[in-house]
Order: sequence, then C-alpha cells, then structure tokens
Amino acid sequence: MKETYGVGLPGMNQGELTGKLIVVEGTDGVGRSTQIKLLRPWLEQQGRAVLDTGIKRSELAGKGIQQAKEGHTLGRITLSLFYATDFADRLEHQIVPALRAGFVVLTDRYTYSLMARAIVRGVDPAWVRNVYSFALKPDAVFYLRIGVDDLIPRVVFSRGFDYWESGMDLHPSEDMYESFRRYQVALLAEFEKLAQEYNFEVVDASSDIRTVFERLRVGISRVLTGEPREPLFSVAAPPPEVEAPAPSSGEATAAPRAIEPAPAEQAAEPAAAPKVSRSAAQVEVGDRPEPAPQALAKAAEGDAKR
Amino acid sequence: MKRYGEHRFPGKLFIVEGIDGSGKSTQLMLLHQWLQAEGYGVVFSEWNSSPLVKETTKRGKKKQNLTPATFSLIHATDFADRMEHNIIPLLKAGAVLLYIYTAFARDVVRGMNPTWVRELYSFAVKPTGAFYFRVPLDVAMKRILDGRNGVKFYEAGMDLGLSEDAEESFGIFQGRILDEYEKMVPEFDLISVDATLPIEDQQVQMRQIVKAKLAQARRLRVAP
Repeated sequence: MKETYGVGLPGMNQGELTGKLIVVEGTDGVGRSTQIKLLRPWLEQQGRAVLDTGIKRSELAGKGIQQAKEGHTLGRITLSLFYATDFADRLEHQIVPALRAGFVVLTDRYTYSLMARAIVRGVDPAWVRNVYSFALKPDAVFYLRIGVDDLIPRVVFSRGFDYWESGMDLHPSEDMYESFRRYQVALLAEFEKLAQEYNFEVVDASSDIRTVFERLRVGISRVLTGEPREPLFSVAAPPPEVEAPAPSSGEATAAPRAIEPAPAEQAAEPAAAPKVSRSAAQVEVGDRPEPAPQALAKAAEGDAKR
Repeated sequence: MKRYGEHRFPGKLFIVEGIDGSGKSTQLMLLHQWLQAEGYGVVFSEWNSSPLVKETTKRGKKKQNLTPATFSLIHATDFADRMEHNIIPLLKAGAVLLYIYTAFARDVVRGMNPTWVRELYSFAVKPTGAFYFRVPLDVAMKRILDGRNGVKFYEAGMDLGLSEDAEESFGIFQGRILDEYEKMVPEFDLISVDATLPIEDQQVQMRQIVKAKLAQARRLRVAP
C-alpha cells in the first residue's frame, strides 16, 4: 500500500499501486541520467517493465516551463508552482498508471530536487512541503552524493555552466564559475538536510560510472525483492568496520560492503537505531522546524526588494 | 517568503468573490470606472492573464486533460506570476488593484484538500476589502443561461462527471461552490452584498465601503 506525504488526490486509489517507485536524486551534472540509461536495460533484461520519467517531461507543462525559463523572468514562487504542475501531471498521467500496471518507475529526480531549489531561492520550506504533500512516498530514494569540488570538473568538461544550474537568477556573482559554486554549495547543503529528513539511501557519486551503477543495482535489487534496507545503506549508518547485523532474510550475499558507506562525519555519529524501519524513520511533512534561512535566500530576498 | 497578511504596501487591493452569474465582474468593472474617475491609479488583474502560463492552461483546457490537482496548480502558477510581477510591484507603487478570486471554492469542490489549498495560496497578499456577491443558485443560473451561448467544459465542472448534460452539471457544480462560499464568509471576513438587489444599489454599497478604506491611500494621478 503506497501512501502520500500528506494529502491524497481525488480519484487516486493508492491500494492498487503494485509497481515500485524508485527515485534517483542528486544535483545538476552528478550523473543521474547516465545511470538511468544503464539501469533501464538492466531491469528490462530481468523482465521488468520500466517507465522512466523526469522533471519537465509532462505533456501539460514541460514545454511551458522551458519557454518561460528562456525568458529568465519567472518569479521564485511562480517557478516552484510551474514545476509542481509538471510534477502533478506526471504523477497522475505517467507514474500512477505505470505503478498500477506493475511497472518499475525510475524517476530522474523527484519532489526533493524541486524542494531544494525552491528553498535555496528563499521560498518558505513549510510552504514547499505542503505543496508537494500529495506526492507518493517512493519505495526508495537513491541520492547520488557529490562534493562541489568533484562536481565542477564534471560540469565544465561536459556541457559547461547553465544559467539556472548556476543560480544566476539569484545574482550571486557576475562570474559564472563563482555563481555555480555558491549556488551548488547551498543546494548540496539543502540536499543533505532532505537526505536526513526523507531517509535517502546515499551513493557516493564521485566514484566512476561502473561503481555507482553497481551500487545502484544492489540497492534496486533489494527494493525489488522486498528485502529490508541494510542499515549500512542509510545516511545514519555506522562506519564500514562495524559488523552489520545479519540480514533477517538470511541472504548472505546481500553484500552490504558493495554499498557506499556513509561519509566520515555522518559515520562518526552514534549509529542511531540502525534497525529503525524506513517508515518509522520517515519524518512527516511539516514536522521539522524550518531550517535557518540560506545565505542565498537572503541574496534572493535582497534582490526581490530592489 | 512573506505569507498572507504579512505584506504592508501603500497600495490597496480589493477583490470580489461569488458564483458565476452573481454579477461580480459587472460590479468590479463599475468600481474600476469610478475609481479611475476619482483619480486613482487602478489596475484590474484577471485569471489566466499571465503570459508565461497562459499557453499551458490553454493547452490543458483544450485537451481536457486537467485533473483537480493540475487544474489547481496551473491556476496557482498563473496567480503567482501575476502576484510576483504585477500585483506586488503595483501595490508598492501605491496603485489600487482589483481582482476576482475564486480559487479556494473552485478547487475544494473539485476535491482538493481545503487546508492544502489555503496553504498553497498563503503567498497571496491579504486584500484591503473582499466582497462576496451572494445570490441564490436559481437566479444565477437564469442569468448565465439566458445571457450566454452555453457554458464551457471546466466552467460547468464537466471534469467531475456530475452529469452528461452541461447545464445540469453546471447547476450542481455552482451549487457546491455556493456552499463553499458560505463557509468562507466568516473565515475570510468577506463583505456580503445582496446580489439580487438592483445593480446601482449594490454599487452604492460597494463604493461606500471602498471609499472609507481608501481614505489614506496615495493617489496616482496617472493610471499605470
């Protein structure tokens, strides 16, 4: 039985949704779409029907957002709502029908990226959470984590800096490099908060494509067979030296070591209840106090006042 | 992000509410004329006027593939664009803004969660005065069906599958919106106007109230 983060949508029977909803999250240029291109045929070879979807791919709003962004004149609330419209259209016309038909839905980003972008732009976090509270809770969220220093060369040597991915609408700097860096740092910080709040499964995306792919396959296989999530996989996981508790299914080949351990600063924390189930660890929308305003949010605020 | 009620601007904002056929647009137009003649800078902002969003809304309506959620969100997007690019800058400049505001009732009747919808629109500026034109359903229906060549798909709430017959669907849909409005009157301090009275009488009431609220407003001599 799938549930939403808050409100239900009229006419959506969540009990019929037998497919699996798998999210690949991460910042701009981290390699999400590359991984999805690899994952889709891999799943199909196993006989799983796959729907892949992503931001701006709705029939209703995708084109409109693209056109509006070319003008660079959208306000932050308007932009957020335009994306929310696109998301709602894909949820109702693509994701839900596919889940009902038993598909594996692979989504290149979900509501979290949209939330992070809006919050970094100074939009009220509680408001954003409410807007997306009709979203279905995914079966798993794989977060491709990368540091800004590893991210920059990737972006530079592939497609270069994009206006929006550099947060140029916030005018952090005249310099595209500086803008990109500052914007992405703020965005990554927001992703870390969301990772905790929504219990993302973190994958180190600074590794090469094959290693990341391997880790995603292990994680996705586990979701598809319905095995419980390995504590090592979580953001609040103990360091890899610690012996993981044996999987309840007795599946010795679950290979928790193949999965990216949490980074040192996370791992140094006491392994807070590693056996806590996913649903219990999930924080309800709106329960979390609002995070302190971002530096960039202030910049945006100043900009709005001009 | 400032929330409903937190904004403080020199300009003034008046809105009208009411079901289709309540005469709210007529009253707003008459108010507009009068304010202009009085020398105020007046701007009327209407739904689906955001150039950035209009095409998307049009596409959805034409293909009839809007769900209650996307109907609600695309209209909120249109509203947000008008709010961010039009209404707020004009209120800062001291203008008098007028608009029709029907989102809550319409979305809730389509099945959206009432709390979600209120929170969705919490970025809106709180109006200086909000008028509700109260009219019995049969009076409104008669006005609409006499004066127009049929009602449009979404206007009649045909997306809800209430009835195959557009007129019948329209009646049921508007009746439900009317019930929603009655709940909103105390919640949002709507100023009720008896919309069965002669047009001139309603306008006199409206002008008196607006005049009192405009007492300290700065007058823009040239309308933007």
